[in-house]
Amino acid sequence: MTGPLIPMGVIPQSWDNVFAVLLGMGFGFVLEGSGFSSSRKIIGTFFGYDFVVLKVFFTAAITAMIGLLYLSQIGWLDYSLLYIHPTYLASAIIGGIVMGIGFAMGGFCPGTSFCGVAIGKIDAMLFVAGLYLGVFIFSEAFPLFEKLYNSGFRGSVLVSDSLGMSKALFAFLLTLAAIGMFFGATWLERRIKKVEY
Amino acid sequence: MDRRYTILAILAIVLAAGLLVIPDKSKTKETSPESMLLAVNDPARFITTDDVTERIIGGDPTLQLIDVRPADQFNKFALPGAVNIPLDSVLSPSYTELLNQPGKKNVFYSNGDTDADAAWQLCKRLKTDNIYVMKGGLNLWFNTIIKGAEPVSTASGNDLDLYSFRQAARQFFTGQGQVVGTPKADEVKKPVKVNVVKKPVEESSGGGC
Repeated sequence: MTGPLIPMGVIPQSWDNVFAVLLGMGFGFVLEGSGFSSSRKIIGTFFGYDFVVLKVFFTAAITAMIGLLYLSQIGWLDYSLLYIHPTYLASAIIGGIVMGIGFAMGGFCPGTSFCGVAIGKIDAMLFVAGLYLGVFIFSEAFPLFEKLYNSGFRGSVLVSDSLGMSKALFAFLLTLAAIGMFFGATWLERRIKKVEY
Repeated sequence: MDRRYTILAILAIVLAAGLLVIPDKSKTKETSPESMLLAVNDPARFITTDDVTERIIGGDPTLQLIDVRPADQFNKFALPGAVNIPLDSVLSPSYTELLNQPGKKNVFYSNGDTDADAAWQLCKRLKTDNIYVMKGGLNLWFNTIIKGAEPVSTASGNDLDLYSFRQAARQFFTGQGQVVGTPKADEVKKPVKVNVVKKPVEESSGGGC
């Protein structure tokens, strides 16, 4: 799970869970620090008064992307050892819509809801209860969804490969797009009435 | 806009642009010495002369024989279908595609084992897949297939079968009738007339590395 040091044998496999806990704590700390435990802040993305979710997640993505590509290009990291989540096109689109609706309705995504629970927010606790209920229903009814769940399988594809460009060029273009989006979001935030929360 | 954010944004763009500039070392694939050690000790890379012969006669489309001897020796005699890549030009980029044809088994051979094995090791370090070495080289091939001695009548059934296979192969390669007993010395020295189908060195025929 915690690549690439464990698959490469630098750190024994038994440390896997220790790293999972440490990384989870770091993730939660940053989420809470960015104000993600507030459903009003998160929902701001959908109403246009607060784009911090977009900014934080995109910054994390491009930072990790640039860092990984540097490590790979100077030969410290073997890209092939990284786990790339396989793409199931149809189920990803439908799942994305379901997740998005839940996100906009509940004001949390799964990660931030646990952050909210940790600081004692009641709406977050209800959200997590709903989350587990959903997981339970999905698991019990899995045979019904199985066909959809496995549909549109594309393997572990990378956008850069599908577009036929190098990883570095794609990373550069994505960084430009992200920065453009940050400035655009800030510009939009100024024009939309600030909601106090 | 906060000045700090502008500076961070510029930093991110500069770092991303740096990716485009620095050389990509991940593309220079090279096997680590540890995996090389394992590979060198693994005898699975060796293919017997009889196996190669059987594949040549059977017209195995996956077989790609690679003759690593110098060109002048290759021109005098080579196994049918073999492509000449002299040992000193194994790493030449013009052969990269030939060595990386998907679905092909590249079998290196030289007169003995040494040169073919050296070529194998070089290609292995560059992570070329499906590479093998014909054990014993052309010398063993010639001694067993072309002038293989008849086994004693008390030999095992396997040995006798092998001998009849080799005799049939000899006929295939030389067109000669059955030669009983050891050929005379001058006969052996004569270059055997073999109808070699010389394949021109393919510059590049699809496939990638």
